[in-house]
Amino acid sequence: MKLLAATLGVLSAIGGFVDIGDLVAASQAGARFGMGHAWVLVLGVVGICAYAEMAGRIAAVSGRAVFDLVRERLGPRVALLNLAASYLVTVLTLAAELGGVALALQLASRVSYLLWVPVAAFAVWLVLWRMRFQLMERVFGLAGLTLLVFALALFWLPTDWAALGHGALHPGTAGQGWGAYWFVAVALFASTVSPYEVFFFSSGGVEENWSAADLADARSSVLIGFPVGGLLALSLVATATVVFHPGGVSLSTLDQVARPVVLAFGGVGLAVAALAFFAVTFGAALETGLSAAYAAAQYFGWQWGKRVSPREAARFHSVLLVSVLAATLLLSTTVDPVRLTEYMLVASAVVLPLTYLPILVVANDRTYLGDDVNGPWLNLLGAVFLLVIVAASVAALPLAVGTGMGR
Amino acid sequence: MRVQLGRQLLDRQLVDADGLLLGKVDDVAFALDEQGVPYVAYLLTGQGALGQRIGGRVGRLLVTLADRLTEETPGPLRIPIGQVARIDSAVRLRVRADELPRPPVEAWLRRHLIDRIPGADRASG
Repeated sequence: MKLLAATLGVLSAIGGFVDIGDLVAASQAGARFGMGHAWVLVLGVVGICAYAEMAGRIAAVSGRAVFDLVRERLGPRVALLNLAASYLVTVLTLAAELGGVALALQLASRVSYLLWVPVAAFAVWLVLWRMRFQLMERVFGLAGLTLLVFALALFWLPTDWAALGHGALHPGTAGQGWGAYWFVAVALFASTVSPYEVFFFSSGGVEENWSAADLADARSSVLIGFPVGGLLALSLVATATVVFHPGGVSLSTLDQVARPVVLAFGGVGLAVAALAFFAVTFGAALETGLSAAYAAAQYFGWQWGKRVSPREAARFHSVLLVSVLAATLLLSTTVDPVRLTEYMLVASAVVLPLTYLPILVVANDRTYLGDDVNGPWLNLLGAVFLLVIVAASVAALPLAVGTGMGR
Repeated sequence: MRVQLGRQLLDRQLVDADGLLLGKVDDVAFALDEQGVPYVAYLLTGQGALGQRIGGRVGRLLVTLADRLTEETPGPLRIPIGQVARIDSAVRLRVRADELPRPPVEAWLRRHLIDRIPGADRASG
C-alpha cells in the first residue's frame, strides 16, 4: 500500500517528467542523441528528490508551502518577480497540457484537437472545482502509470540492451553538434525540476493536513514518486532510441511518440498509449492549474485550497478559473502546444534558483523545523545541486539563442 | 515579546483562531510609549500596505488597484499587536476571521463570481 501513499509524489512527478512537453522532448532526445541524455534524467531525479523532501518536511512540520517561504526569505519585491515569472510559465504550461489532453483525444477519436480543447478545459476546471484532493491525486497518479507500457514495449521490441547501456554511459552528439546536445540537456533538466512540482507537492501536503507524524509518508511519497516519474521518462527516451535513433528521424507529433508501442503491441498498444497520454497530460494540467493559483494565493496570504468551500477561498478559485480560461484562449489561437512548451522550458530554467534557494535556506531554519532541520549530507547535496541549477539557469538563454532552440 | 521584525514578522502568514488564512503581515505601524520609545502597535495587511512597502511603479499599481476595489476606502486592515497569540512559522491571532472586516477583493469576487457558480458553498475536501 506504499504506492497509494505515494500517489502525491507520482502525480507531482508526472507534471515535471512526462507532461506533454516531455513526451515529445524525451522522445526527440532519444531519436536524435540515443541514450546520451539518460544522465540528465538521473541527475534531475536526485535533485528533485532532495528538494521535494525538504519542501515536504517543511510543509509537514510547519504547515507552510513553498511560495510562503519564497516571499518570507526573498522579500516582497524579488518574490513578486518570481511570482510573475512562475505564474506566466505555469499558465503557459497549463495551456500546453490542455493542448496535450486534446491531442490525446484526437489520437483516439480522429476529431481535430481544436474541437477537444474547450471540452478538456471544462473537464479540468470541473475536477479542480469539485473533486476531493486525495481522490484526484490517486485517480490521476495511478492512471499516469499506464505510461509504463513504454517500458514494457522495450521487452517486445528487438532491444539491444548492451548498446542502450553503452549509449547511456558514453554520451555523444551523434553528429548534431554540442550546442544542440547541451540545449536539449538544459531543457530536459529544467523540465525535471520545474518549480510547479515543488509548489504542487508541498501545497498538496498542506491540503492533506500533513503533520510531523506524516514525515515518513511524505518521504516515501518523494522517494517512490519522483523515481517512478524518472523511469517513465527514461523509457520514452529508450524506446525512441530503439525505434528511431538508427534512422535519425526527427519527430514532432504524438502519433510518432506512440509508434514504438504500436510496433510492439499493434492497435491495443495505440489505445493504451492514447489513454496514457490522456492521463499524464490531464494530471499535469491539474497540477499546473493548481500550482499557478497556489503560488499567487501564498504570495498574498489568501485562503487557498480544496479543504474549504470555494466561496471561502474566492480569490484562489478566481485565479484558478482565470488561469484555465487564459490557457484556453491561448490555445484557440492555434499556436502549436508542443512548440509552446519548448519556449516555456527555457524561460523556467532562468528563474529556477529563485524557487530552490529559499527552500534550502528554510530547511535549515529551526524556527520552522525545530530539530527536523537538514543534516550535513543533505545540505551538501542541496548546495551542489543548487550550483547545477544556477549553471543551467545561466546557460539557458545563450544556448537557446546560439542554437536557434536546438535546431 | 521579542521578535526580529524583518526575519520573523514581516511577510509572515496571518492565521486566525480557527486556522483560516487572513493575509500576510504586509507592513507594521509603530507608536511611541510614555518614554518616547517606539514599539510595534499594529500589523497591517492588504494590497495597499504591500504596494506602499514595495514602492516604485509596481507598488503604485498595487495601491491603485486596492483603492479601486474598495468601496469606502478603509485602507489596509490594522490588527492591534495585542491580538497576536503566538508567532512561529505563522503569526497566529486570537480573533476569528468573521470578527474582522472581510478583504474587499475577496468579498467582491465572492459576490460577483464564485457564488454564482453551482456548488460554491461545498468544500470538496
